[in-house]
Amino acid sequence: MVPRSGLPGGSAAVVAVILVLMPLVLPSSTMATEILIFAMASLACNLLLGYGGLLSFGQGIFFGSGAYLSSLVMMHAGAGLISALLTAIASGAVLATLVGALAIRRTGIYFVMMTLAFNQTAYFIAYTLSDWTGGDNGLLDVPRPPLALFGATLADLSGATAYYVFVAVLFLLVFIATVTVISSPFGSTLIGVRENEARACAVGYDARNFKIVAFALSGAVTALAGALYAMLLNFAPLENIQLSMSENIVVMTVIGGTGSLLGSLLGAGSWVIISDILAEVWPRWLILMGGALILIVLFLRGGLWGGVESLMQRFSHQNKGHQGPDDAPDEKDESV
Amino acid sequence: MLYLFQVLNGLGLGMIYFLISAGLTIIFGLLNFVNFAHGAFFMLGGYLCWSLTELTGNFWLSLLIGPPAVACLAWVAEAALIRRIYRLPHTFHILVTVGIALILQETTIMIWGPTGKNIPVPAGLQGVVTLWNFAYPTYRLFLIAFTSLIGLALWYLLEQTRFGGLVRAGSESAEMVSLLGTNIHRLFARTFALGVGLAGLAGVLSAPIRGVHPFMGPEVLGIAFVVVVIGGMGSFTGALLGGLLVGLVQSLMSTIWPEGANLMIYGAMAAVILLRPYGLFGRA
Repeated sequence: MVPRSGLPGGSAAVVAVILVLMPLVLPSSTMATEILIFAMASLACNLLLGYGGLLSFGQGIFFGSGAYLSSLVMMHAGAGLISALLTAIASGAVLATLVGALAIRRTGIYFVMMTLAFNQTAYFIAYTLSDWTGGDNGLLDVPRPPLALFGATLADLSGATAYYVFVAVLFLLVFIATVTVISSPFGSTLIGVRENEARACAVGYDARNFKIVAFALSGAVTALAGALYAMLLNFAPLENIQLSMSENIVVMTVIGGTGSLLGSLLGAGSWVIISDILAEVWPRWLILMGGALILIVLFLRGGLWGGVESLMQRFSHQNKGHQGPDDAPDEKDESV
Repeated sequence: MLYLFQVLNGLGLGMIYFLISAGLTIIFGLLNFVNFAHGAFFMLGGYLCWSLTELTGNFWLSLLIGPPAVACLAWVAEAALIRRIYRLPHTFHILVTVGIALILQETTIMIWGPTGKNIPVPAGLQGVVTLWNFAYPTYRLFLIAFTSLIGLALWYLLEQTRFGGLVRAGSESAEMVSLLGTNIHRLFARTFALGVGLAGLAGVLSAPIRGVHPFMGPEVLGIAFVVVVIGGMGSFTGALLGGLLVGLVQSLMSTIWPEGANLMIYGAMAAVILLRPYGLFGRA
């Protein structure tokens, strides 16, 4: 479960190649954009779950509020693209700090239950403030302004491909930032807190602060994803802030693989593709996701990405014909 | 008079919440994990009530058959799935029960359709009871009385019987109970079935008041979490008082500020977390 210490630029390069290939392989660049948006949310969830060991069922709070607030500042305050996204990021960070600070007063199961209850709170707030959020109908006619800096228009994003490129660049930036955070001393300490909180505290780290900062980062990225999603749909539905959104984000993160950032891309990708293919034929495709979740816990705890990795390892073993010195413990990884 | 009406409503609602949360808390106490499918089993109880009432025209039959049927399903789920993951960290328990909840929710939509259903108030309990100039729905009175009886029975089961003793002892140390010669797996399975059965019972009882719809599971789960966070996880008394408190707050607020009624119960939870992080009756 400990992240491998490969080249930090290595996985970013892999992501860059995937980002270029995705619109070519997938049926539409809108679909590719949707994958990246959910991969971003999943990345943020992974930072908490895979590295901080914090299972949050409150990610929908940040996703939904990012969508609402960015849309509202564009519609009512005439904000441009960049200031709308910055609003989302800031509000996500603030809300996540709040939720995190309250929820981590308790650990373990209580913590998880509280994140879920806070998600319900946020949902009812959004539902109650229907003058602003549109309530059940959602917030309609969300604009997608052009990318402009200091009044100069740099790019028109109204086309699907142009928007994909914009989201892809943001995704790559977020990915690199997340890799940097995880490989920084902060990331190592966060993992240390996950592995043994008492010991981390004993050597002088304030575990609470580390968790709250992780929450703030996660909330900021999730809110950014929410804002991008609203601009993609030109619509911010109430579903964005519902508990099911939090659940979906957790499920795609786990299916993709916790503790590996590429897994988040894989998880979000398979989620969006499967839902897109099956939604027409069989609207009850969520059953498959429920089943997949159970199977992953039972048989493939590293998620899909963990499965891919162990396949690649087996393959490279056969090619080399001998076992590398650091390959041996991998077999026992699960028991750790 | 309006307030008395709402207080009684709140008591009935609170007792329903108590049944749900007691199930959650009993399972947590012994098995040490939170059943995220609890709300989905509650929903299933409601739908079984609808089907059996439609089929036989008799609510009482659904009250007799529904909850045990839900408990049986839980027993099967425990034997087939949950038993395999006890030794894993609690994150995995949560994920598996989330998976079960998703499957139950989607199966419900496949069987009963995506829209909600209304269940008629049972034949003998329609109408109102009038006392001086105060009228109150008979079914809601029945609800308060019946859930109180169930609460007493549950208290007797947990405090006075051998099974209850084992459950309480197991909550302290499941390993020790196992070492003393009790078949702990059977105890776990029965407790899980009992806890989920209570959710099913609550589902059946609340169906004639609130109807059923396929997405009610998460909503109920959220409320049950508020109750156990307020009352303290693993505490029977906490589940009772937390349930009643949430029920009363929700029902009184619905006259004062209808839109904010649901919001208030979460506000109450936040206040309890800030003032007493372990809940009103929780063990540290």
